[in-house]
Amino acid sequence: MKLTHLAFAATLAGATALTAQSALADVKVGLLGGVSGPIAAMAPPMLDAAQLAFQQVNDQGGILGGQSIEAVVGDSACNPQNGVDSATKLVNVEQVIGLVGPHCSGAVLAVANSVSVPAGVTLLTPSGTSPEITGLQDNDTVMRTVPSDDYQGRALARALLERGTSKVAVAYLNNDYGTGLAESFKDEFEANGGAVAGYAAHEEGKASYRSNLAELSRGGADTLVIFDYGDGTGLTILRQALENGFFENFVGGDGMKSEAVINELGAENLTTFVASSPVGTASTSLDLFRDAFTNVGGDPDAIFVTTSYDAGFLMALAIEKAGGDKAGIATALREVSNGEGEPILPGEWEKAVGLIAEGTAIDYKGASGDLDFDENGDVPGAYALFEVSEDTFKSIGEIK
Amino acid sequence: MELIGLANYAVYMAIFIGIYAILALGLNIQWGFTGLFNAGIAGFFAVGAYASSVFTSPAADGRLGGYDLPIVVGWIGAMVCAALIAWPIGKVCLRFRSDYLAIATIGVAEIIRLVVKSEGWMTGGARGINNVPRPFGELPYFQSQLAYLALIIAVVGLVYFLVERQIKAPWGRMMRAIRDNEAAAAAMGKDIEQRRLEAFVFGAALMGLGGALFAHFNRSITPEAIDPMVATFLIWIMLILGGSGNNRGAILGVAVVWIIWSMSELVTDQLPQEYAIKAKYMRIFIIGLMLQLVLRFRPEGILPEPDYSNHEKKKKVPDANKASDASAAE
Repeated sequence: MKLTHLAFAATLAGATALTAQSALADVKVGLLGGVSGPIAAMAPPMLDAAQLAFQQVNDQGGILGGQSIEAVVGDSACNPQNGVDSATKLVNVEQVIGLVGPHCSGAVLAVANSVSVPAGVTLLTPSGTSPEITGLQDNDTVMRTVPSDDYQGRALARALLERGTSKVAVAYLNNDYGTGLAESFKDEFEANGGAVAGYAAHEEGKASYRSNLAELSRGGADTLVIFDYGDGTGLTILRQALENGFFENFVGGDGMKSEAVINELGAENLTTFVASSPVGTASTSLDLFRDAFTNVGGDPDAIFVTTSYDAGFLMALAIEKAGGDKAGIATALREVSNGEGEPILPGEWEKAVGLIAEGTAIDYKGASGDLDFDENGDVPGAYALFEVSEDTFKSIGEIK
Repeated sequence: MELIGLANYAVYMAIFIGIYAILALGLNIQWGFTGLFNAGIAGFFAVGAYASSVFTSPAADGRLGGYDLPIVVGWIGAMVCAALIAWPIGKVCLRFRSDYLAIATIGVAEIIRLVVKSEGWMTGGARGINNVPRPFGELPYFQSQLAYLALIIAVVGLVYFLVERQIKAPWGRMMRAIRDNEAAAAAMGKDIEQRRLEAFVFGAALMGLGGALFAHFNRSITPEAIDPMVATFLIWIMLILGGSGNNRGAILGVAVVWIIWSMSELVTDQLPQEYAIKAKYMRIFIIGLMLQLVLRFRPEGILPEPDYSNHEKKKKVPDANKASDASAAE
């Protein structure tokens, strides 16, 4: 009993003393990520990418007339309970001016509904792809730098039909990412005259998906569309489909465009594999980010790092534009990336600050795309189809 | 740091403590008083959360909904649904004892999670349910939280009162008899199977209510919330630490564990930037360590189970057993 009391008292005392001290820091942004929990492997590079944006801001003279921007990392653990807990602390105790994150859609919904929208804090998620986020009643304060799964699924469906594929089977991971893509794909594919001969969800992390694949191939399609992650279950499915010859052609979403697929299966076996993925139309943006992120020891090909970086950089631009006014950040976000004005590329912080001071309109061209927000705070996203060529992915044309 | 911010955080914590207190009270009925090792709290939590969300949320394409019922109906519906699901599960699984029951209920919770994720026509699948109404949700941030807290306190108070009544009644005595010595209770003509089922269903209904309160607070529910770590094991730790078999202990355990769980992040955030990610795992470690310490030094929890028999005798007979218990606890 005494021990418990002691531990408890110490924690409380520690918390109060330490938070009081940290209140003296400059401009604070909440960086909410699924550090522990199911996406623990994906989260650190995403957080690093966002930190890179803030580091560039601080290296190039700081924000709001020389203050430094500090990211307070919160752990959403990819579930609503921890997400709301962490966001409440960031918004109320740390008094952050804006939130970058959370990473998972369920946490985004819960955090937006019970913390950020009531508190009037702008939330910018780099990886919440659920179409539900579009319909949030958010007073225009919830935005994202990653396109809703709805867009990509539809774009891919139209592209396949254009390429002459009219009968497919769809295997998708049973989470918000896989389901969102698969539903919109199926919807658009069938509406435009295609036939979905097999359509099944699968759970992640199983050793064998041969029975799922056998079931899917029974419909007679020779093309398999996989909505999954190429460094996870998607790889297993693709490998087993190739080994057993269930299908001839393979199509993937952006999750499948992973170097892991090529490294594990070999480029020579992937001649019939294409994957769609968001691309930045101004590809110099992407190159700038890749160089900068590689320099700090990051892997620019990790999933969602480009959107995370863009979210961090956009948040900083919006804070500068809004002059540090918490309520004005959502509006400012639209103003700094609406397709009109002087283009700003990743890392061009000093230039942006100068232009904002002059009152010139700026337009951020992100590493993950142009990021022009629509009325729901979504970005449309530009997609291209990629094929495997000499150990890397090569674009074979944009899809719309 | 602004005072209103701290107040907001405090109110939020109190709300979560209230929600978890209901879950812990439900578990206390099952484990604390009846000895049922239910490791599937997340499952009943999910049933309640989804049931209430479906009943009260506006219509949406592709799933059940649009009934727009009053929230109270949703909450009662959540309890009824959780109880209805618990009944057949109890019928089948309660023949198992201790560890075997734990394994079976973990399986049940996982089945419920997968059903929720896969049956999109009913639950919205992986997308979950959004726009669940929150009572007093249209008020500003602080007032809205405060009003919800008042509601939670009322619900927890009512649940606590009813559970206490039930436990002090002959029913509670019978349950403790079954827990402590099943053979003796059976010999006295108690219907063990039936009573255990009653406790299981009763506890599950409370867990369903906890789920409903959670969904309405967040105005949304997604399958990600059915995470065994935060919806099952954390509640077990709370109950064990607070004192199973004691309702006040259960609530105290919830408060202690949640405050440490939540505030430890503020402490670990003070570590240098390069440890920021590693530090997040510290609190999981802290909670685990606390459980170890409590089990080692105070296995009966912070507030041990009260000696009901002594209470019923109105302390006429000094109990030797009680005296030795007390000295052991010092």
